[in-house]
Amino acid sequence: MMKGFEVISALKKHLRKDDIIVSSNGNISREAYHVLPRPQVYLRGSMGLPIAVGLGLALTNPKKNVLVITGDGNFLMGLGSSTTAAYYKPRNLKILILDNMKYYTTGGQKTVSSVINYAKFLDSLNIEYTDSKRASQDQIEHDLSELLGSETFSVLHLHINEGKKDLDNIAWHPEEITDRFCTRLAKSS
Amino acid sequence: MIDPSEFLTFIEKRFQYICGVPCSFFKEFLAYLTAHEKNTRIKHIYSTREDEAIGIASGIAFSGKKALIYMQNSGLGNIGDALTSLAQLYKLPMLMLLSYRGLEIDKDFPEHSLMGEVNEPFLKVLKVPYWNLSEDNWETEMKTATKTMIETSSPVALLVEKGVLCQ
Repeated sequence: MMKGFEVISALKKHLRKDDIIVSSNGNISREAYHVLPRPQVYLRGSMGLPIAVGLGLALTNPKKNVLVITGDGNFLMGLGSSTTAAYYKPRNLKILILDNMKYYTTGGQKTVSSVINYAKFLDSLNIEYTDSKRASQDQIEHDLSELLGSETFSVLHLHINEGKKDLDNIAWHPEEITDRFCTRLAKSS
Repeated sequence: MIDPSEFLTFIEKRFQYICGVPCSFFKEFLAYLTAHEKNTRIKHIYSTREDEAIGIASGIAFSGKKALIYMQNSGLGNIGDALTSLAQLYKLPMLMLLSYRGLEIDKDFPEHSLMGEVNEPFLKVLKVPYWNLSEDNWETEMKTATKTMIETSSPVALLVEKGVLCQ
């Protein structure tokens, strides 16, 4: 199994220039900010809302891929938004769930993620789904590339090992994140 | 009641999306919207929770577009974090229509009583500017709220009593 920041680092070579990333609060946003091309929508706070934000972005940017990177804690907190996203199924929306079954940012407390059979759950919503449960690094690279290249609304659920890189906090105030991201979108549309 | 067709004509010029969780106080307007979904410019997104609606509207605002949100004021209890750590923090404009439950007319519905009482203080504490939407003066009130929403690039609210967007 890979660690979360290794997966986020591995995304780099599969992303296209216009792809939009929404990262969930905590380590994931921090890692996305430091490792991937800027600017993106780095969420702080916004508990349980990354998929909802990604859905809003996907509907308004039909020609761009929107990749939501979320941990299992955030995914569970906004579980309803995966049903809303599945109802609308924007073909450009992709969700990457990094599942360590823990609230890792707050100290590694357990989540209830282990009770979900993700394949059955996502299948019941008719969502294109890939699970790389015990996949090798090569398999994960392949799955990330498939996820970003997919022509339908898709979810990749990855079990990851705990462990994070010691990184500085995001240097931009959220208002600056909005400004920089909006400027980027205005230039590319 | 505000004529739903006039209301829809007004909002579709200013908002590209409408999103929320219903209240019976919006019944006639939402019925009109649903019946005219194919020939209105505004796109309607259903939501499972009120904070999810704020999240969707935030994604829309990140793209430079605007969403109108509707919810019962009970939903105010669900959106504290979505407002303070997302829409307000990131300066994302959106207009919320909040049904004003818990007034005299709902006195038989105990679930609305306390929120009805604290509704306005709650919005003040959250620093959300708000106005009342009235049948007689709705265009001015909508324009004032929308202007503040754009000038502050932040969420604003309109309180909607019974009979304004429903019969």
